[in-house]
Amino acid sequence: MDFFDALHTSAAGLSAQRLRMNLISGNLANAHTTRTEEGGPYRRREPVFAAQTENSSFGEILSAYQTDMLPQVKVIDIVEDQSAPVLKYDPNHPDADERGYVGMPNINLMEEMVNLITATRSYEANVSAVKAAKEMALKALEIGR
Amino acid sequence: MNEITSTRNLESLQTPGVTPRQVKAPDSNSFGQVLTQSLNDVNKLQKEADQAIDALASGQQQDIHNTMIAMEKADVAFRLIMEIRNKVISAYETIMRMQV
Repeated sequence: MDFFDALHTSAAGLSAQRLRMNLISGNLANAHTTRTEEGGPYRRREPVFAAQTENSSFGEILSAYQTDMLPQVKVIDIVEDQSAPVLKYDPNHPDADERGYVGMPNINLMEEMVNLITATRSYEANVSAVKAAKEMALKALEIGR
Repeated sequence: MNEITSTRNLESLQTPGVTPRQVKAPDSNSFGQVLTQSLNDVNKLQKEADQAIDALASGQQQDIHNTMIAMEKADVAFRLIMEIRNKVISAYETIMRMQV
């Protein structure tokens, strides 16, 4: 546990929130997409966050057990919303079925905007944590003056 | 001839009453080595920050915050080593001002 661990933890949080922001942007941009590669309308994507220690090598796992290293947030998966698409009656649409209904993505714009605000605020919180950690270190340096 | 006799006389004078203390060889944790080690660490952080800036500018690294954090780390480490330097210099100056 040194001073830089706080920075690393915050950096992981920043990366996670940035990825979440990317996904929300994708959801907003594809709110009216009716065609995807896998067929059917776009499905909204959501990240799955997990708290885990950085375990890329054996040495890092060992040091994580020896020192009580803080678990960092990591995006372990990106899941697609499996709920049914919203049916909209539009017979002239090229993707309409034989009854004239088009499957639209089940994306609620308000919900996505709220998620966007949450992601931005979480990012800001992580930036504040970085700033606080740095100020703490600089205050510690002032002891010697 | 004259010289040899004079040194012999000196040898008899030099038989020490007190054996001079052995000056220890600097062990692995000497101040100089710790200082060099920490200087190397600071240099490593500076280089990491440089690489992060390069990676961001050339588009390899997409995250701005990782670059910023690398820079902050280098900044704090450099400030710490500067504080240590200031302390060492002021200690040296204090000793130099000592009245003899």
